[in-house]
Amino acid sequence: MSKIDRTAEVEETEVALPILNVAPSPHLSDVKFTTMRMMTDVLIALLPLIAMSLFMFRWYAVKQLLICVIASLAGEALFVSMRGRKVTLKDCSAAVTGIIIALSLPATAPWYVGTIASFVAIGIGKVIFGGLGMNIFNPAMVGRAFVMISFANLMSAGAYENSAALVDAISQATPMNAFKSSAIPTPIFDLFFGFTNGSLGETSALAAIIGGTFLCVRRTASWEIPASIILTVAILAGVADFSAGDRGYLLLHHLFGGALLFGAFFIATDPVTSPLTSFGKVIFGVGVGSLVMLIRLFSGYPEGLMFAILLMNAVTPLINRWTIPRPMGDA
Amino acid sequence: MNIQNTNLGQAWLVILLSVIFGISLAGVQAALGPKIEENKLKETLAKVPVVILGQKAADDLAAKGENLNIKPNTVSIDNKGVKKFYTVYRADFKNGTTAGWVAKTYGQGYADKVEMLIGMDFDIKHVTGIFILDQKETPGLGNKIVEESWRSQFSNKPTDTPFNVVKQGKVGINEIDAVSGATISSKVVTKLVNQTISDLKLKIVETHGRASLLFNSDEKSNEKGGK
Amino acid sequence: MADQPTASERFIQGILPENPVYRQLLGLCSTLAVTNGMKSAITMACSVAFVLVCANVVISLIRSLLKPHLRIVVFTLTIATFVTIADRLLAAYLYQMSKTLGPYIPLIIVNCIIICRCEVCASKQSVFIAASDALGQSIGFGLALSSIAVIREILGTGSLFGIHILPSAWPDWVIMVLPPGAFLTLGLLLGFINWLGMRKSGGRGI
Repeated sequence: MSKIDRTAEVEETEVALPILNVAPSPHLSDVKFTTMRMMTDVLIALLPLIAMSLFMFRWYAVKQLLICVIASLAGEALFVSMRGRKVTLKDCSAAVTGIIIALSLPATAPWYVGTIASFVAIGIGKVIFGGLGMNIFNPAMVGRAFVMISFANLMSAGAYENSAALVDAISQATPMNAFKSSAIPTPIFDLFFGFTNGSLGETSALAAIIGGTFLCVRRTASWEIPASIILTVAILAGVADFSAGDRGYLLLHHLFGGALLFGAFFIATDPVTSPLTSFGKVIFGVGVGSLVMLIRLFSGYPEGLMFAILLMNAVTPLINRWTIPRPMGDA
Repeated sequence: MNIQNTNLGQAWLVILLSVIFGISLAGVQAALGPKIEENKLKETLAKVPVVILGQKAADDLAAKGENLNIKPNTVSIDNKGVKKFYTVYRADFKNGTTAGWVAKTYGQGYADKVEMLIGMDFDIKHVTGIFILDQKETPGLGNKIVEESWRSQFSNKPTDTPFNVVKQGKVGINEIDAVSGATISSKVVTKLVNQTISDLKLKIVETHGRASLLFNSDEKSNEKGGK
Repeated sequence: MADQPTASERFIQGILPENPVYRQLLGLCSTLAVTNGMKSAITMACSVAFVLVCANVVISLIRSLLKPHLRIVVFTLTIATFVTIADRLLAAYLYQMSKTLGPYIPLIIVNCIIICRCEVCASKQSVFIAASDALGQSIGFGLALSSIAVIREILGTGSLFGIHILPSAWPDWVIMVLPPGAFLTLGLLLGFINWLGMRKSGGRGI
């Protein structure tokens, strides 16, 4: 018997008692502010990124998006019904997870990569913890981490380049990898508009900024998280830039290159796996930003957004404990 | 005082068991120890001809029953006050000429220790081949360093310039293609090869001269054979 | 504790109803560490079985001589001896396997299944009962290890006992042979077995 049913019983029998309704996050105070509305907002905000990926990668993007969305919806239906709950595909959260997975994959990844990532995201990333709102880690990133480690040769920097591909973009090295391994910088103009290789949704900084701004204006995403991530990365990249004497070039490269903006606006802002208070969100963002730069500058990986977000997801409960104000009289 | 309550009275069982178990363990070690040592040595020795001559030539030689005469030696290198020891195997043909040298070395890989054999020809002018004895690199990526197709990049390469790891698309003769997605593992192996060659090259060639190519410890036995 | 289980009951109990891994959650270190292939899992299970049976028999033989405050010392001494013997035997006759398992064979010393059985059963029961208890627990442990290893090896390398059984087009799920795969598989199997148990007992948890 679920908790809500039990509260309902209490309500009937002992009306006088105050009702404490315990529900999983997202905790919403506005009645109109439903999961459905949030997810529709996210879908709208993702449109510029989807458009850009379709423009850059053509049918590779179509294929990847279809596979991931269908697999996510199927996974949601399957796993939720296995738990004996009502299937709730209408709230679009599974579709959003699917799209984010697709946008974070390389265009050339074979069909099973997207499928496995989606099933793992929904099954192990979300439903096993109790469904939407109960998960510790961002489901899309759990799915991506699973396939990233499983199929390292299909997901690593080298896999993005495929000279046999029919789309021009895929034959180039990704900007982050070209920079990491051979110190070849990509023109900032290309990085900003997205005329580069990379994961489907990460190429264009402009598209991420447009979609992200929409999310923040609609208050679906809290502005504190992307702002603090971007600021932290800017400061750290600035230090690296200054010490290398690149006159701002490296700084912009780090800001517009890779999945930073996509992740900062769309993945890190997941209300379930990020802290509740504004101050907590700033700590979270600074953590993500610092880890991204740590991984980018000092590890073997060219990009570290996924690991940074997963690591900070893990400490989110701790941040919440520190930052949520204690009720009066509670020592 | 009752003997039951003294320390010895309490602990006699523990002491007795320790003695019994100790003796039985010593027995086990005495019985199995030589076999274990032999296993360890065999593993390395079996690879020495392959690393020096290549799989095919080593098989041919073994088929003819002319096994190489392999002698282990310890070489100490004094590098700016830091002493370093290498186990170096000298492999001789039946007729007494030296086929080559195999050095055993190890270093920190991406995940754990990488232990390997490096084969060199008799005057350390070329690397004849390498073999990875032990590694725990990432399956699917780093552990590809054990594959023949990757290792063979080192085979029959001159030792006068150090090896250099490049991402796919080598041009120069001493450039090694990194295993895709495992640059660190590839660099570790290459560094170990370079380090071993630079440490051993002078030591073996200079101190022993091209003509004899012997270690001090072997000179006596060789003299006997000469007479 | 009115009626003590008989030898055959103890034997059966160890295999499934009181499976050391799935029911008692003991010996998880080796369960997680060596289950990336069937060969190493079976070798591990056999080594543990050897140590467990020998230790249980020896402890049961000397149970009347044990002093309560010295019993753990005696257990550890006995277990350590048999673990060392097992380790040497493997190094002598299965050298490659002993290299693959590395430190996990010596670590059987701290495998809590063995000290648990010594404490719970062998130090109180007759030799025959202790031996059958040890055998049952060993088979249970072996079953648990192989159930995890089958899944991990097939998904992770497409093979079983090192022999390819899936078509070569199978993409290896490398994560399954890495430590995260061990945690995922153990967790999912534990959940599955608890679910089975719940269904058996009529929809209620254990």
